[in-house]
Amino acid sequence: MNELQLIPLLPFIILAMASVVTILLIAFRLSHTVIQVTGFLMMCLVVFATWYVRDTLPEEVPPLFIVDGQAALFTGVIIFCVLVIGLFSYIYFEEREENPKEYYILLFLATLGAAILTISQHFISLFIGLELLSVSLYALIAYLRNRNNAVEAGMKYLVLAALSSAFLLFGMALIYMEAGSMKFSGIAEKLPQVSSSPLFLMGLGTIVVAIGFKLALVPFHLWAADVYQGSPTPVTAFIATISKIGTFAVLLRFAQTIHLQQYPLIIAIFSVIAISSMIVGNILALRQQNLKRLLAYSSIAHFGYLLVAFLPGNEAGTEAAAFYLIAYSITLLSAFGVITLLSSREHEAETLDIYTGLIWRRPVVATILAISLFSLAGIPLTAGFLAKFFVLSAGVQQAVWLPLAVLILTSVIGLYYYLRVINTLFGTSGTADVMQKTVHPFFHVSTYITLVVLAGMLFWIGVFPGLVLQGIRLFLLLH
Amino acid sequence: MPVQYYIFLSIVLFCIGVMGVLMRRNAIIIFMCVELMLNAVNLLMVAFSKMWADAGRVDAAGAQIFVFFIMVVAAAEVAVGLAIIVMVYRKSQSVDINIMNRLKN
Amino acid sequence: MFTDTVLLSATTPFSYFPIVLQLCAALGFVGLTMFATHFLGPKRKTSDKLVTFESGIEQKGNARQPVAIKYFLTAILFVLFDVEVIFFYPYAVNFRELGWDGFLAMLLFVAFFLGGFFYILKKGALKWED
Repeated sequence: MNELQLIPLLPFIILAMASVVTILLIAFRLSHTVIQVTGFLMMCLVVFATWYVRDTLPEEVPPLFIVDGQAALFTGVIIFCVLVIGLFSYIYFEEREENPKEYYILLFLATLGAAILTISQHFISLFIGLELLSVSLYALIAYLRNRNNAVEAGMKYLVLAALSSAFLLFGMALIYMEAGSMKFSGIAEKLPQVSSSPLFLMGLGTIVVAIGFKLALVPFHLWAADVYQGSPTPVTAFIATISKIGTFAVLLRFAQTIHLQQYPLIIAIFSVIAISSMIVGNILALRQQNLKRLLAYSSIAHFGYLLVAFLPGNEAGTEAAAFYLIAYSITLLSAFGVITLLSSREHEAETLDIYTGLIWRRPVVATILAISLFSLAGIPLTAGFLAKFFVLSAGVQQAVWLPLAVLILTSVIGLYYYLRVINTLFGTSGTADVMQKTVHPFFHVSTYITLVVLAGMLFWIGVFPGLVLQGIRLFLLLH
Repeated sequence: MPVQYYIFLSIVLFCIGVMGVLMRRNAIIIFMCVELMLNAVNLLMVAFSKMWADAGRVDAAGAQIFVFFIMVVAAAEVAVGLAIIVMVYRKSQSVDINIMNRLKN
Repeated sequence: MFTDTVLLSATTPFSYFPIVLQLCAALGFVGLTMFATHFLGPKRKTSDKLVTFESGIEQKGNARQPVAIKYFLTAILFVLFDVEVIFFYPYAVNFRELGWDGFLAMLLFVAFFLGGFFYILKKGALKWED
């Protein structure tokens, strides 16, 4: 270990410094705006650092980390998401909490956890990344402690996440017993001898349980709707995007390193999980009257779709998964951004009747929400359509027919409830609009602009995916 | 002692923890059960570390370091978790998790 | 000398014999004193003896009263800073081998904790009186 090896870790070191700097800024009693701007600059610095170290990639930092193109790609998406979520957080928390500063420490720590997951190649770094993510999330979910729902959601997430991380550790211990190594590549070497041992399979199974919990896959999805509803909207956006991107990235790396997909049993298990996620997620969303819960169930279904891209275990699958995650996170960020913007001090804008006839009152916001719902439903000309298309073509190459059939069928079911919400947007409204005074014009305007840009990106990626695909390929080649 | 003994003991401890989490309704006891599960894993890790060190692997001490990390993370989890439980108690004067059913459609 | 070599070499189970001896002596002493006081001492049974011992002060109220929330905060902070010490053990074992690099790494580690401690102080989390 020498200093040169640490250079590829520079973005992650800066990310870690961001939370330390925030702690010190709070200790010196600086204002919310200062902290927000410093956080923004630190995140920009992370992006620059990633750009700066790109020539040194891929670089292994033994034994815990490997920084390659795939890690850089997922970290980039994570940082993009945290930039947007940080912006949403300002107006959201400035209106609600008299002391919203500690929120940023937790936000950056959770982001660091997700970023560490993308570069981990060892059980220790996997565990630390996952726990950094979940322990920060416990506090983030329950951050608005004066609302009953927040504490309840935090408690639910706490118990289930703690349980799942205990399962994860147990699985790691069993795998370590059989393989004698906790490094993914070390396990891969030993795999041919141990792959049929029951304890090894049991260990793999418990790890799948823990990962499935984090990704809210069926049958480990029970927390999702409650937590999505109970937590503050920017935190919901965080759980839906960053937390899941990080977990999926580590699942992808684990599967790639130990060639998980060559075992029929594992493929069968993941197929069952994918199929049941798609079906259950879409069916539960059908009758939802609460937009946040609806998005929770839809995200369960979407990660079912994503697993279809994960099943083949080939280059095309990885590419499709990366594209899907990018499209999905932009879509969800714009949807949650709209919810943040419409939420008032007393009420989250979550029940569907708030949205009745929104298009006549606030056309821009309603259009953005409609675009993101179109993208979630997979209507052509939006990013969501192409993402689904790439997943399908990756699946066709490897002939995983049953999950593909379920994907198409459930997409049609999904269309129903997305269009139901859009229908609500165009309905005739009886409620008179109460125009709130905007307290922070600058941040309101920038949130607006960000939302418009996000919606524009959805269209742009949906029509001209070439640039994004090229970028993804370029990054994925670095390994 | 053969390593099987440790495996049996750990699995028993882990299962007690799982049953506790599933069956008890008191949030603090649920939390204690999670700790029990983590400590079962710690025992397992140390036993396997010794096993692989005896088998001649030089990097077997890594598992013992892992145990330190698990302990520290468990302490952090307890700190945040107990804070949330205290908040629940202040809201409802009870740490029973059955009262938490307000989040519905 | 035979016994010396057997007792001083750390490899045989026999080298734990002194510890066993000490354990026996300790347990024996405890047992003996309990036994002896039970038989030798005079017995006076009064109702005062059944009352909770409060160092001579009259007892009042129930002991199971809610504790101030400040106590919880201090206790949790103590746990966090206490567990940090665990990372010093591997460092202590490899103190010489790690040299100055290890020392600098530990210094950085402690600096992070001091940052957190500074935050706690500034926030007034350790202030006991209002």
